[in-house]
Amino acid sequence: MKLSTRARYALRMMLDIGNHDENGRPVSLASVSKRTGLSRGYLEQLALALRNASLIRGISGRYGGYRLSRPPEAISVGDIVEATIGPVNVVDCLADPESCMKVADCECRMVYALINQRIAEVLKSYSLADMLNPKWSETMRGELESLAPLPSAGAPPPGTTPPSSGEGTPS
Amino acid sequence: MKLSTRARYALRMMLDIAGHEDRGRPVSLALVSERTGISRGYLEQLALALRNARLIRGVAGRHGGYHLAQPAEEISIGHIVEATIGPVCLVDCLEDPQTCIRSLYCECRPVYALINYRIAEVLRSFTLADLLDPDRIQSLRGEVQELPRLMPC
Repeated sequence: MKLSTRARYALRMMLDIGNHDENGRPVSLASVSKRTGLSRGYLEQLALALRNASLIRGISGRYGGYRLSRPPEAISVGDIVEATIGPVNVVDCLADPESCMKVADCECRMVYALINQRIAEVLKSYSLADMLNPKWSETMRGELESLAPLPSAGAPPPGTTPPSSGEGTPS
Repeated sequence: MKLSTRARYALRMMLDIAGHEDRGRPVSLALVSERTGISRGYLEQLALALRNARLIRGVAGRHGGYHLAQPAEEISIGHIVEATIGPVCLVDCLEDPQTCIRSLYCECRPVYALINYRIAEVLRSFTLADLLDPDRIQSLRGEVQELPRLMPC
């Protein structure tokens, strides 16, 4: 269950555009390429997909480039992932029932569909604006450290875990 | 973001064992293979991983086979997925920060880590017992927003 490079690069590209179109000036792919280290050709491919999904808007001309077509609050990580690699789909039979003989009587398919739905919800719950805000990133780091490890099968129920020690916080 | 065949087959195998170990008798892989259509060799590979994760227990002998090592209510899809294909790891830098030079200051990495954690939670939220209960499946059906159906022939 990996997030493909294409989706990760698209997120990086969107973050770069989000960070640099402050004065309302479009951001050129040449400058995005320079800052992110992603090749110009790759960025152009991504731009096509992101434009088709109406997440960015191209402006032609000498000072042309791309702008976010919505405020970053209204663009989620899920929107970017879907625009570039398609809807979340943990198993093929969800989008294409013909791909498996068992579809009609499969007890797993319903649960896969729900898992799919919940994963898509998770991806929709983080926005570009969140990620552009350095304070939010700090908060997230804190939240991460406070997460208890998920129990393994047959482990004692939650509530018996010792409090986390807060060490190793980077300054 | 696909769930690998290995993980899906392991889930099918666990369901078959859970559905057939009534009266405490172990379930042989030969029978699991017959019912699921998964090859015996593949099932043996999966059994090794599932046994190592203490999700099933082998019983040797003429009527030997496998049991669930824990009640079906306590075995989640997440446990089976982790036992067979490893922990959910959306991006490599989460397991190994050395794979990316940006790891230390990357604004995406904490978000990936959170998304990862939430996905692992989602996988933990369904158990084998849920899948074995037709009423439960029926009620879950109500939560699914839309699902393409088989075209009538």
